[in-house]
Amino acid sequence: MELSVSMKAIVKRFGRVQALAGVDFDLRPGEIHALLGENGAGKTTLMNTLYGMLPPDEGTIAIGGREMQFRSPQDAIAEGVGMVHQHFMLVPTLTVAENAVLGERGGPLLRKRDLAAVSERLAELAARYGLDLDPGARVWQLSVGEQQRVEVLRALYKGARILILDEPTATLTPLETERLFPKLRTLAAEGASIVFITHHLEDVISWADRITVLRRGERVGTLRPSESSAGELARMMVGRDVRLMQVVAGERSVSGTKEAPREAPVLSIEGINADGDRGTPALRDVSFSVAPGEILAIAGVEGNGQPELEEVLFGLRAPESGRVSLDGSDVTGTDPADRLRLGLGLVPSNRYRRGVIRELTVAENLVLDRVGEPPFGSELRMNRREMAKQAEELIRRFSIQVSGPDQLAGTLSGGNAQRLVLARVLSRELRCLVAAQPTRGLDVGAIEFVWEQLAAARDRGLAIVLLSTDLDEVLSMADRCCVIYRGRLVAHWTREELDRERVGLAMGGAKEPAVAAPAVASREI
Amino acid sequence: MSVSQATARLIAPPRLSRRLRAILASAGAVLLSLVVGGLLIVIAGGDPLSAYRSLLDGALGTPYGIGQVLVLAIPLVIIGLGLALAFRGRVYNIGAEGQLFMGALASGVVAILLPVGFGPLLIGLAILAGVVAGAGWGAIVGLLRAHWGVNEVITSLLLNFVAILIFTYVVRRPLRAPGSPDLQGRAIQPEAALPALPDLAVHIGLFLALALVPLAAYVMARTPFGFRVRMLGFNAEAARTAGVRSGRMVVGLMLISGGLAGLAGALQILGVAERLDPGISQGYGFTAIVVALLGRLNAVGVLLAALFIALLQSGGQAMSVIEGVPYAIVLAIPGVFVVFLLIADRLARSY
Repeated sequence: MELSVSMKAIVKRFGRVQALAGVDFDLRPGEIHALLGENGAGKTTLMNTLYGMLPPDEGTIAIGGREMQFRSPQDAIAEGVGMVHQHFMLVPTLTVAENAVLGERGGPLLRKRDLAAVSERLAELAARYGLDLDPGARVWQLSVGEQQRVEVLRALYKGARILILDEPTATLTPLETERLFPKLRTLAAEGASIVFITHHLEDVISWADRITVLRRGERVGTLRPSESSAGELARMMVGRDVRLMQVVAGERSVSGTKEAPREAPVLSIEGINADGDRGTPALRDVSFSVAPGEILAIAGVEGNGQPELEEVLFGLRAPESGRVSLDGSDVTGTDPADRLRLGLGLVPSNRYRRGVIRELTVAENLVLDRVGEPPFGSELRMNRREMAKQAEELIRRFSIQVSGPDQLAGTLSGGNAQRLVLARVLSRELRCLVAAQPTRGLDVGAIEFVWEQLAAARDRGLAIVLLSTDLDEVLSMADRCCVIYRGRLVAHWTREELDRERVGLAMGGAKEPAVAAPAVASREI
Repeated sequence: MSVSQATARLIAPPRLSRRLRAILASAGAVLLSLVVGGLLIVIAGGDPLSAYRSLLDGALGTPYGIGQVLVLAIPLVIIGLGLALAFRGRVYNIGAEGQLFMGALASGVVAILLPVGFGPLLIGLAILAGVVAGAGWGAIVGLLRAHWGVNEVITSLLLNFVAILIFTYVVRRPLRAPGSPDLQGRAIQPEAALPALPDLAVHIGLFLALALVPLAAYVMARTPFGFRVRMLGFNAEAARTAGVRSGRMVVGLMLISGGLAGLAGALQILGVAERLDPGISQGYGFTAIVVALLGRLNAVGVLLAALFIALLQSGGQAMSVIEGVPYAIVLAIPGVFVVFLLIADRLARSY
């Protein structure tokens, strides 16, 4: 049978970074094919080359046996390729039917009669594939799951026979997730070929016909779920090679030999339930505590509640229920200003959104949270001289590459911006630090620096909560480790019990009753 | 200097040149808007050069003319300073007109009814009442935004109408001037009238306005409060993460900008109209928005912009009488100016 898609030796570079290093991928008619890999493995990039969003630097793409060179998604759509992005591309105030014809080149006027025909066609498609949608409904009234069906329906309306879904379950509730895959199965049975990108092992094993695993821009292998196991997939995903373990080898001896702390916890949360931005539950009954001188890593892949946890811990998001305590006192209802004063620090996961203010200078950014406090002046006057002195010192101590303290923070590279954030946070009197994705997007040298700083802070007696999607980071830094999956803490290990494969498995959602502890609440510290 | 330092310097030139570029952009915008204004005058059948000359003559030719420019500039400076501060924090208070009227009303009521014989005390109380009323009217907007996220542009804009209607009601009913058929409120007690400078006929609120300029400049540039306002304006999320309480800041900025608008209203009653008069504002609360933007949210800039617009408006009346050019054209010039300023701003930033 002719292959729906055949991609050969696809290479894609972004500057000096090679995102895809000669990847082969093929898709058969009527199959559901899972594309599996860690963050940054190149899954989305590969599919974007197929969808015409990114031209590959090398390699060939054939659709139905004919070689193609897509210059834009329009070209790909014309050949029957449709893509549903992780973040939906819908106009909330328009109806389903209006969204379906968005971007179509027709006459200058959109006639009611034409739209009626579109609605009819959409209703027909929806009925045929069991997508169950009202073409006249306005998108803002729809749930996330329904919006996703609108995207699928729109792709079908545009004639897609090859459907790419990028992280389809990332924003769905578990119930919606359960409903999605049977519908995809119906589609496939009707002859469509489906690729879905994911890092959830559970979805892959239950629903894929074939699985292709990518790691760091290379294809590790393609196999059937029946030939494989969650364990093997996890191993393939994360690899046995240890990328950065050597970097902190020196530090490891310090962190590794540390005895489990017996002091009272600095920060603890109990039974936290919180909603995400869309109002769907993001955290369910999360409990843990962290003591002075230890790093508690909360590992997890994207879309499982880490950002919400970060926000709840720092008072940026109010939980629906549960309790946050700092040094024994309840701080659940307090804001970041209060928590800063109590000695909580945050290295935010999005450093440009929360960490630095681009329009202000490096010197100003280094004391953002301390203006008006001695020695940086009083409420009546800022002491610019002290601020400059502090900046000079921190720039030196944290090796921030700048032309001077007056350089605007917006011109710093990612690594330097992160050094700035760390310098500010760690130069305060702290009891506890929440570090969220502290090395995301950094190069090896910067990663090493951040890890050293965190380890040093821990050794000074700080309690550190490390939220990370990076397995290497978790394995290198954690004194204890939990995994967050779909909003719940699903496992807990001490440093000695840490095992790459088991952590990887748990991050992918595979159930492993042998280690899965209900939650850490039961742990007495 | 290393290569990376050199490139860093290229990307972020020292601060002075940034300021210089901003000044050049403003000056270019002034020039272009005067040219466009001149074109409009030609279209209306006038001679631009002589029209501009009669504008300048009218505005600055006599001490009285200068005085009128200053009288016009006083509310614009005072309100403009408050708005500049609020806009820095991205609190878009469009309700200064209403806050001005509430301030005028409160201060008028005090100045009419409070039986205090000692002038300075009465004036002080009347001004205080104006500030408090304006601040309170602004605080409504701030509280709505801080607690329920209600867009302050809409609430502050709509509260303008409410305030003006309340003012008009009071003028027509409870405090109507006895025997006056039209919209004339009662006159204030003579002790409450602000003294005026002899030749210029400018009330001494001028000194208050002038004193507020350096004060505002200091608050904006030197105090932690001014710094937090900028943080909030640049990146509200990062500000919050760094411990800035945005709700309190929003309410605070509405209190300050509303209070200053109320102060301007009080001065209009005590120094200009000397009675409750719906004609105390020619849309100053709105013109002050232009003043704040033209002044680039900078205290000295606000002073200059207020003087510029006051000069145009005051001299424009003379010009339209002498040259027969419609006054509306004069009023169009600041509008054209804002457009050019925004364009120049954009260009200055991209080069």
